[in-house]
Amino acid sequence: MLLLKDIVPAAQNNIDTRFILLDKGRTTLEGQNKTCLALVADETAAVHYQFWGDECDVFEPGDIIHLTNGIFSYHRSNLVLRAGKRGREEKVGEFTMAFVETPNLSEIHWIPDPNNSKKYVQEYVISPHSRIFPPIA
Amino acid sequence: MVSSFTQGASHEAENPIELSLRQAFESIEPKLRPPFSLNIPNPDEYLELNQAILYGILCEPHFAKTHIKHLHAIVSDGYAFFVNLLVKIVHQLYPKLVVSVKNQLIWVTKEMVHVLGVGFDGLLASLLRQIIEGDFSDGNLWLCFELANFFLDKWNYILEEEPLVLSSALYVYLRLLADHCRSPNNEKLGTLKQLEIDLCVKIVREEFHLCLKIGRDVVWLLQNLFHVPEFRAIWKDLVMNPSQFKTPEFTDISQLYCIRTSSRYFLLRITPEMESYLRFLLTHVKLGQQKRHQMWFTRKFLSEPSRETVIVDLVRFMCCAHHPPNEIIQSDIVPRWAIIGWLLKSCRKSYVEANVKLALFYDWLFFNESVDNIMNIEPAMLLMVHSIPKYVDMTHTLVEFLLLLVDNFDVERKDIIIKGVLSALRALVHKGVVPSIDVLTSCATLSPVLKEGLGRLLNVK
Repeated sequence: MLLLKDIVPAAQNNIDTRFILLDKGRTTLEGQNKTCLALVADETAAVHYQFWGDECDVFEPGDIIHLTNGIFSYHRSNLVLRAGKRGREEKVGEFTMAFVETPNLSEIHWIPDPNNSKKYVQEYVISPHSRIFPPIA
Repeated sequence: MVSSFTQGASHEAENPIELSLRQAFESIEPKLRPPFSLNIPNPDEYLELNQAILYGILCEPHFAKTHIKHLHAIVSDGYAFFVNLLVKIVHQLYPKLVVSVKNQLIWVTKEMVHVLGVGFDGLLASLLRQIIEGDFSDGNLWLCFELANFFLDKWNYILEEEPLVLSSALYVYLRLLADHCRSPNNEKLGTLKQLEIDLCVKIVREEFHLCLKIGRDVVWLLQNLFHVPEFRAIWKDLVMNPSQFKTPEFTDISQLYCIRTSSRYFLLRITPEMESYLRFLLTHVKLGQQKRHQMWFTRKFLSEPSRETVIVDLVRFMCCAHHPPNEIIQSDIVPRWAIIGWLLKSCRKSYVEANVKLALFYDWLFFNESVDNIMNIEPAMLLMVHSIPKYVDMTHTLVEFLLLLVDNFDVERKDIIIKGVLSALRALVHKGVVPSIDVLTSCATLSPVLKEGLGRLLNVK
């Protein structure tokens, strides 16, 4: 089980993690599919999440979600965590999870590791928090 | 998989208890049909049978009577394990159960009381907790009705075996009546209200010692019903005719003031979910970072205007039934006074707001350092002090309320109230909650009228 602070962009769907849904954006259509962007977090970090299809309606802020076989990668210029084709989300609880909104791994500029071009490393922080879902004052 | 138990959807993990019941049922289903085996089950088989039978009772109403006969035949622990499973289901799953399962749950609870199953009092208490304050939906009123009816029906039984359950019922129904008697939904509530009144009056008049078991909180519960004829009569007797209650040791209402209400009563009016969320907030969330959790709490429990009445119970709970340890108090975790301040500010109705302030100050009125707990009175003081100067309106409204309370709560026994409040203030300074009362009496931003009032109070001989 990965902590959010340890996820790294990759073209692999091997991310097993647990987080709480902080906020959901509007559901829009991408072609024929519903999609919506969200902010999720655990005790170590936050990240943008993309829900797909009926997932958009089913999860609400405050839900604690267990993601298996997820993928963290660029989707239309957004760096997002998502279930993808092979992944699965399951609601395992509500409310009882503490979280931080910084760092936000989607608001980081990543570059390929000079020593291993298949891996990514953090180069600099674009924004300490989500610019799409800023923290509530 | 879609549950036959709950309204859970396919994206939700199956609850572990439901899972184990279902697996037990599926595993030994043939053994659940008559003729039943006469073999004595070994311990593991016994547990599995209990789980399977319970699943059968809840999900196969048409076979319920057969299942229960089977249970009666094999029981060897006074139904302790079975009742314990029921309590767990109520605690973890009640709000999500489908209607037919809820019906079966009430039916099997009655069966368990009938056979005096071990722990039936805890089962009844756990069901009482599931009645939601300020919720006038059919499902909630149905549960309210079923339990009140049951208490009256099985009165002798329960009184003889576990009379404390009736004191729990009294606390709950006095509290519910305050909202039911105020509600405009009078048509819907007619029969229910009368049933609740009958139950409460019966307990108070015939078994007054159960009021003594509740202690001081029964006083404000009864005060809220003063406009109801049956309770006005009770008040008259409480104040002028204590012997009417046939309890020799009870001679004056002030005796109730001295009895601190046990924290188990405050749990009765908040659901296990509310309890778990609040305790989490006060244990794991840092001050300054509680906004999102507060929003979710509001959305889940305070979404309708009528539901805000539960804030009174939330405050009693936080003051009296959740005492954070020193490590938490000294850390950056959000303190009780901050949550109470937020809840107080969210009250829209003035009578709810007044009741919340009473809930906050209630234990001040009768404070006795040798029997009362400083943790019950600490949140009110800290809320007043920490609101200075940025939110001094809050301090204002609280000091004003406290002074009004001292003058009006019990005019005949004002000396007792003054003694209580002065003890509370002394203890708060003595235990270091505040360095001195000067923090209020010398506060530049507090109105001179209030400071004068405080000064007069402090100088009472």
